[in-house]
Amino acid sequence: MLFFLFWVLGLVLIVLQTTLLQSLPAWLGRPDFVFILVTFVAYRFAWIPGIALVFSLGWILDVVAGIYLGLYPLMCLLTFVILKLLTNKSPVKESTYQIPLVGVSYFLAQMFLYLVYSLALPEDLPEWSWGLTLQRTALLVVASIPLFLLFSSLHEYVLKRRLRAKPLRRPRKPM
Amino acid sequence: MRKKTKTIQGRRGRSAFTTIRVLLLIAILFIVGLLLLASMLGGRFGTLHQLTLDLVGPMQSAVTSSVSGVATLKNDYVALWNVREDNKRLQSLVNKYLEELGEYREGYSTYLYLEELLAFKEKLSFQPLAARVVGKDPTYWFQTIVVDRGRKDDVLEGMVVLAPAGVVGQVIQTSENYSKVLLANAPSSAIDAMIQKNRTRGILKGAGEHGFILQYVLKNADVAEGDYIVTAGIGGVFPAGIPLGRVSRIHKKRRGMFQEIEVQPHVDFQKLEFVFIDPTDRRKILDSTNLSPRR
Repeated sequence: MLFFLFWVLGLVLIVLQTTLLQSLPAWLGRPDFVFILVTFVAYRFAWIPGIALVFSLGWILDVVAGIYLGLYPLMCLLTFVILKLLTNKSPVKESTYQIPLVGVSYFLAQMFLYLVYSLALPEDLPEWSWGLTLQRTALLVVASIPLFLLFSSLHEYVLKRRLRAKPLRRPRKPM
Repeated sequence: MRKKTKTIQGRRGRSAFTTIRVLLLIAILFIVGLLLLASMLGGRFGTLHQLTLDLVGPMQSAVTSSVSGVATLKNDYVALWNVREDNKRLQSLVNKYLEELGEYREGYSTYLYLEELLAFKEKLSFQPLAARVVGKDPTYWFQTIVVDRGRKDDVLEGMVVLAPAGVVGQVIQTSENYSKVLLANAPSSAIDAMIQKNRTRGILKGAGEHGFILQYVLKNADVAEGDYIVTAGIGGVFPAGIPLGRVSRIHKKRRGMFQEIEVQPHVDFQKLEFVFIDPTDRRKILDSTNLSPRR
């Protein structure tokens, strides 16, 4: 249920990101919703559903917006794995560090993506801009605050429903 | 003893579950790795890619249509704000252009009229004196107009006044700069006239707004509606053959010798703006022929 719900949510975010956000004026900014969702999944989901979710969303994004097939799923997987390893049983997982970590990981992902593109398409790539990358990162950090709130409430709501649905086991009476 | 057995069974169950999970993770990683490798190395947009695109495409299409619909609605609403101002501005422009158009039409109409007058003037055997109508007397018995030519321009009483369409009247009074013209359709006016097609003569009396009445035409005379009436030239006031009007109605009374013929004037006396005065001194002619004027 949780997996399916977040998969549908990811699909909706991809559709919105590739349609609605593109039709908005450029000065409003176009934060990467899917990246925010990937980081959230890394914080809250277990390995198996996390990988499946992140890979499938990366796959869809790849099909819809990718130039080099496989790059988006790889990016999503790498982000997920790195964040998962960093936050697993670590104080970094606490909510205080979550949002800044989203920013840092996005910044590094941008650098990684630029590196890959510069190897694959060096002639078509514009010059690297620190200002622009920082600006995008800041926008992503700002956008991730309400989105994290939304994802968290959805996550908690589903978990609570799951707990309510499970019948409580009565302790056995001593013989 | 039993408790110990349960603990061992629980541990075995847990380790089996962990093994399954690890195996599942490995399987998923393997599948993911395979798909990733196939995508990256193959670089082909395969069936799975196509299926994914076919799944997402309709959603994108729906969102884009909705967004564009909303954008159109918003643009239309915003556009309405300016419509009122635009409407006012355009209305004032329309008024301005209509006014200008009216002026141009008037100018063109005047041009056509003056052109007609010029053609008429050039056609005449004598050199006419053009005069502008400056005043009109609308009374029934003495229908007259005032023109801006007088004795200073050698205009004399008795001179004939014409328009391109035909006879207008005769000068009856003059001052230094202006003259009064008795219109041909005035009830006090009478002109020697004839039916153009058979030269049957009669007296054309003015009938005010009703035009003319041709009198003293015998009942057996051949006359029909639409026949042209022209000046007869008898009496020396009007030269012969100037158009006066067309027969519009014929009354044949039981008694009497004559029929009464209504004539529709060629000249529209209500719309006279310019007229031509024939400068020939008719009085001299009348005096020389010992004929007294009719009017």
